[in-house]
Amino acid sequence: MTARQEQHYVCISCPIGCPLRLVHEGDQIIEVEGQECNRGAKYARQEFTDPRRTFSTTVPITGAVYGRLPVKLSAPVPRQAIPAAMAAIRLLSAEAPVRLGQVLLRDVAGVAGVDVVACRTMDRVMITPSDDPSSAT
Amino acid sequence: MFGRMNRRYDVVVVGGGPAGLAAALGALDSGVSRVLVVEREPEPGGILRQCIHAGFGLHHFREELTGPEYAERFVTQVMDRDIDVAPHSYVTGLAVDSSGHRLVRVLSERGGLATVECRSVVLAMGCRERTRGAVRIPGTRPAGIFTAGLAQKLLNLDGYLPGRRAVILGSGDIGLIMARRLTLEGCKVEGVFELMPYSNGLTRNVVQCLDDYGIPLHLSTTVTRIHGRDRIEAVTVAPVDETGRPDAARAWDVPCDTLLLSIGLIPENELSESLGIALDVVTGGPKVDSTLATSLPGVFACGNVLHVHDLVDFVTEEALRAGRFAGEHARQIRRPRDAIALVPGANVRYCLPHTLSADRPHTVYMRAKTRMSPCILRVGNLLERRLRFVVPAEMIHLTIQPELLERFYEDRLQIDLLPVDGGGVP
Repeated sequence: MTARQEQHYVCISCPIGCPLRLVHEGDQIIEVEGQECNRGAKYARQEFTDPRRTFSTTVPITGAVYGRLPVKLSAPVPRQAIPAAMAAIRLLSAEAPVRLGQVLLRDVAGVAGVDVVACRTMDRVMITPSDDPSSAT
Repeated sequence: MFGRMNRRYDVVVVGGGPAGLAAALGALDSGVSRVLVVEREPEPGGILRQCIHAGFGLHHFREELTGPEYAERFVTQVMDRDIDVAPHSYVTGLAVDSSGHRLVRVLSERGGLATVECRSVVLAMGCRERTRGAVRIPGTRPAGIFTAGLAQKLLNLDGYLPGRRAVILGSGDIGLIMARRLTLEGCKVEGVFELMPYSNGLTRNVVQCLDDYGIPLHLSTTVTRIHGRDRIEAVTVAPVDETGRPDAARAWDVPCDTLLLSIGLIPENELSESLGIALDVVTGGPKVDSTLATSLPGVFACGNVLHVHDLVDFVTEEALRAGRFAGEHARQIRRPRDAIALVPGANVRYCLPHTLSADRPHTVYMRAKTRMSPCILRVGNLLERRLRFVVPAEMIHLTIQPELLERFYEDRLQIDLLPVDGGGVP
């Protein structure tokens, strides 16, 4: 027999931002309160059972107009997997040309089906000395 | 074609961000064929290129895209449809010759100073960030103070981490998103400080960018002093009263090596001003009629140079329209002048366009002064709509159908946001 506990969330489904209270006994959800619509209850249940997040970052790229290639996760990962995913992405690098949607790493941080993909196309460009900041003195 | 610039066009678009790209496509849709986009950066895409987070396109594409993905969809269309894009180029002036052609003065890296002849111009220069000077923070003038968007550019395009220990002033969406971004890159974010008693960003961003990472949000609190000689070493922060005055007795110091400012955006209208275009003091952008034409004939405006939008989807919608009207103008299609002035009333900070006509549907954008929940949106005595809530950070959009204006014989239409109890119709 576990005691009743409660969790508090702010609903992000729309800009109203209903303050939600979820009552549970262990893993068992007893009730959700505070929502003005059904999306609030759904959000609180999802947050309690399996909160998932996605994020974007960049990886170094050579031969492109800028030195960084923006990348994203193809799907959300469990929230606690974010640091591991970030650490794995930090080891990546790319070389132009890169196509939008190109997969740079599969199953990031061991999460099956979640890939790291390029968010844009970066063509190979000729870098002239005046464009290259590292050559400036 | 990328990098090509001829001497003669139907429509010249100033700026190759989301507004400029959509305006160019809109112009093409209206039936003109020669369109030039003038862009000062090495590539088109504008601010979206550095907004690598997701959240764009939910209205326009009905899917969630990152900024670069959203931009690329438009860049691809612009290239496929043979619109010319001049990178590293800058519009320095505009004149009208005796035959009614507009002469656009373009300064570019490759071509030097050139004059391009066209029939219509679309202004799509976007906006820029308010800086320390705009809020007059006392203290020293050390390095390490950045606007949030500049820090975002350094980090996401160039790959430089602006600092190791940051304080963020202002809780707009850019500030919130940078808090998460810096944290992911190993910079400690000491807190986000907001002068107002509420966050200026979306709830979603407060939850997913601050709460998830344990970053405190201090409401009704502001930075009152900057410390440090060469590099910023700390800021003094203090709670403020209802009038916004800081309480020095309750102030405390926060050590940091970086201060990010996310304190608002200003439409970038130096070019418009130099042309003598009439500006609206509230929006900071040009006054426009229902075709998004400015006070200078043949010159149109759209996107953040017209008024600061919160969603790029609305920029796209507005810019497609501006581009179409600019294209029609280039094809010598003339519409009768608008007969109805649209004016902001109770709790409406501004509404756009400034005038309407009765012959076609109109998309009206407006912003509330303060939060209301629920409330009634009233358009003259023509239309009433109940809204669940309005907040200043969320633009309200409304379509006014021509049937509604059919029997409207006045010359002034006022928009009000009224509380539900006090403002009911008899």
